[in-house]
Amino acid sequence: MNIFGEITCYGQCLRSWAPIVAFIVIISLTSVAASLMLKNPKKRLQTFAFAQVSGLTGVALTYYLMNCSEMLSMYLFFAYVAISTILIFGTLLYYDRLMIKRLEAKPAGSILKWTQEYVDKLTSARVYYFDSAIPKAFAAGRSIFISIGLLEILDDDELKAVLAHESWHIRHNSRMPFLSRLALMAFSSSSEPELEEQADRFAAKVAGSAALFSARNKIDKVFI
Amino acid sequence: MVKLDQINISNDGLTKFFSPIEAAILRALWSEGEMTTSELTGKTNIPLTSVAGTLDRLVKAGYTTRRTETVNGRVRYVYEPVLSEEEAASEITTKILDSLVQAFGPLAVENFSKYSDKK
Repeated sequence: MNIFGEITCYGQCLRSWAPIVAFIVIISLTSVAASLMLKNPKKRLQTFAFAQVSGLTGVALTYYLMNCSEMLSMYLFFAYVAISTILIFGTLLYYDRLMIKRLEAKPAGSILKWTQEYVDKLTSARVYYFDSAIPKAFAAGRSIFISIGLLEILDDDELKAVLAHESWHIRHNSRMPFLSRLALMAFSSSSEPELEEQADRFAAKVAGSAALFSARNKIDKVFI
Repeated sequence: MVKLDQINISNDGLTKFFSPIEAAILRALWSEGEMTTSELTGKTNIPLTSVAGTLDRLVKAGYTTRRTETVNGRVRYVYEPVLSEEEAASEITTKILDSLVQAFGPLAVENFSKYSDKK
């Protein structure tokens, strides 16, 4: 039986339930599309999780309602698992590249050469700067992002402390299993206080606690 | 409001059209021309934490431009107003007159000429 035959049979088997299943599938696809377009990472992941749940509901529903061909349910299920796995792992692997594009970030080595050299000594990561007056630094994937606003207010020692702090996150991230990183990305809005503390301890050891302390005083705590 | 979509007639001066911080930044840039971030916070007497986000917004809305300079290994922004005070005034006036004509048609125009006769 060809695939169109399967779909016709599928519709017949589901009978009155077919519109409901179709509705759930449409909701799921719409939320996947929406999650790719949303800018706020937290909202994006929440929408994506919602898409996953509704997609799974659709698959489960058809499985229970089907009373003839079960093959199409299997195809759908495998297609669903394949697509969502690629999307999840893809987002995680390319998250920093997405950020580079969105922030129009450029290599920090091109304006302050020593920043990249300094980070090279601590971990393997690329340092990028982006156009914003708000002092901000964060790590994603194997990249460290710093705003021009941050470069404006910090002196070299303070900047070293911030770079060491972010380098620790990258070292820690790369040791963390894939699924925990996913969970962290999806369910915590800012980083865990415990992780921040450890990152600070590392930064203090590498760049000196005085530099870290004065950097912390200059930047609102939520920004690094 | 940088986009001029909200006008508070009861506010004073530029804050009719801009937020107080936006107005302070624009006034400083109009009087000085080019300014660095620290010159701006010094002149307006507003802390960086409040100014930074507003500066990003003003740049995005096209009221100011900024370039990055590296001086003695220090990176800094230099801000410049896009419109002069006169140009901004004429842009704002045009927008408001347009919206009055849109709302009242010929009645608005009639009142403009009465107003200019009176002056």
